[in-house]
Amino acid sequence: MIVVSEYVHNIKDTVSTIFEGMAVTASHFMRKPYTVQYPDRMPVRVQDTLPFRYRGILDVDLEICTGCLACERACPIDCIVIVAEKDQQTRQLLLSQFDIDIAKCMYCGLCSEVCPTGAIHHTTEFEGADYSLESLIRRFVQDPLMAYKAKKGPETDPKIAPILSRGMAYLDQWAQPGGEKPGGDEPA
Amino acid sequence: MSTLRTEEMTLNMGPQHPSTHGVLRFVVRADGEVMREAIPDVGYLHRSIEKIAEKVGYRGFMPYTDRVDYVCAMFTNQGWGMACEKLAGIEVPKRGEYCRVIAAEFNRIASHLLSVGAMAMDIGAMTPFAHVIREREMINDLIEELCGARLTFNYMRIGGVAWDLPPGWREKALAYLDHFDPILEEYNALISWNKIYVERLANVGVITAADAINYNLVGPNLRACGIKWDIRKDIAYSVYPDFEFEVPVGNGQWGKLGDSMDRYVVRIREMAESSKILRQALKKIPPGAVLAKVVRNFKPPAGECQIRVESGRGDMGWYLVSDGSGYPWRVHVRTGSFAAMGIIQKLSAGLMIADLVTLIASLDVIAPEIDR
Ligand code: SF4
Ligand code: SF4
Repeated sequence: MIVVSEYVHNIKDTVSTIFEGMAVTASHFMRKPYTVQYPDRMPVRVQDTLPFRYRGILDVDLEICTGCLACERACPIDCIVIVAEKDQQTRQLLLSQFDIDIAKCMYCGLCSEVCPTGAIHHTTEFEGADYSLESLIRRFVQDPLMAYKAKKGPETDPKIAPILSRGMAYLDQWAQPGGEKPGGDEPA
Repeated sequence: MSTLRTEEMTLNMGPQHPSTHGVLRFVVRADGEVMREAIPDVGYLHRSIEKIAEKVGYRGFMPYTDRVDYVCAMFTNQGWGMACEKLAGIEVPKRGEYCRVIAAEFNRIASHLLSVGAMAMDIGAMTPFAHVIREREMINDLIEELCGARLTFNYMRIGGVAWDLPPGWREKALAYLDHFDPILEEYNALISWNKIYVERLANVGVITAADAINYNLVGPNLRACGIKWDIRKDIAYSVYPDFEFEVPVGNGQWGKLGDSMDRYVVRIREMAESSKILRQALKKIPPGAVLAKVVRNFKPPAGECQIRVESGRGDMGWYLVSDGSGYPWRVHVRTGSFAAMGIIQKLSAGLMIADLVTLIASLDVIAPEIDR
């Protein structure tokens, strides 16, 4: 008799807990869907919805690159190659190569963290599929150019000033050692 | 009439098997549906992470630690950071520690969510997995806003964290927790107390407390056997002593103590505890710096140290030997998944092949963490 009652009890339990679960599932029919149809049915491009700190494919603003090689040294997998040489006549640094191998890059952010001007920075771009590895090497220098030299006061060149302020805004996101410049959230 | 001749089968399960949580391989000796033995074969995912550390230096190794356990990378980040700090005697600012705890506890919830969801999926219930992935995505959105990545966070640095909480993030995080607590209840209604599900897990893969200690199990796997051992409480590190939280242990409510259901329920209850810690941390977080001043060319003095963190898979040990140069001399990681793999061979005797999947899922092993 006990066996029969347990059997019936088990069936009752099973049915009731399944219905409980189904009720949860049914309630989700009424809620807003969380999934989106990527990539063709997005109301806005995904890239535009990503947060500012998003670590996507790297970009370099050569106009404000000082050629300090800090990024090249910080990268643990050596996917940045920079050639910067002193020009004999003008005594200035001449950038003749700045390549980043996007195929090797792991988007860790160690390079953009150390850049003094925010020249090398992550974008929100992430769609990097391509047919060959060769085309994943981003070559930023087309013609050799002078490296940027930081001025004493604020930047005056109207062409460079907006780029530099963008770079500085990017740098502001990073925590400052010792917290000299507290960025981010205000304490409670 | 003579009896039918039977013979033992040797089966290969994995490495590319959908229910082995990554790439694990088992050699199964089975008699029909019943296993004599399942021998785990580790090493398929070995990437020499420990050796890489000797080549890339202290700072450069931080992104690699993400790959030790990609499901809860915050803890591996924290472990590496803490090992370096201990060796060099660096003190992390209070706010930095809070940021670490907040990020890590969010990560713990995400990791446990994946674990419980994958468990349901391995058993055959597909819907719960979609639910947990939805919740995990929301946590990933928060973490993405914090540190710019969804999986390989690289959030922490030697001496603190790389980014402070962005403006308005705390409110978002608290709003998420308000949303999360009822969701956990809903999830329990959906699957956890489902009779079929309970029957499938209860009394499967029972680990006794003595075995758990002998086989070096850690984390939720150990606590499910009724042993209250949590590094956050017992060897307090970071700012965990500031918070009040329970350490859930298994109680054998559904079957024998230490069965798969206990391990499952411990994870569910740990998520609720993490949510509690997060609320306190988000409320109490002090102002100040998040990153200590550390020389760029970081060189800890010669010596060795060992630290422990309680990751999603339990006690994670980082052992670091320095010879005073800019590169570590030796790094070793002790992970919970590797220990958990050891006990599978013992537990598998007499189980059905289908229960092996339950067992792997309930031990929450993560393939890259086993092999490193
Ligand atoms: S993001 Fe990391 S891997 Fe990529 S270039 Fe920068 S330092 Fe190197
Ligand atoms: S990108 Fe930045 S870190 Fe790299 S060389 Fe230019 S200024 Fe230096």
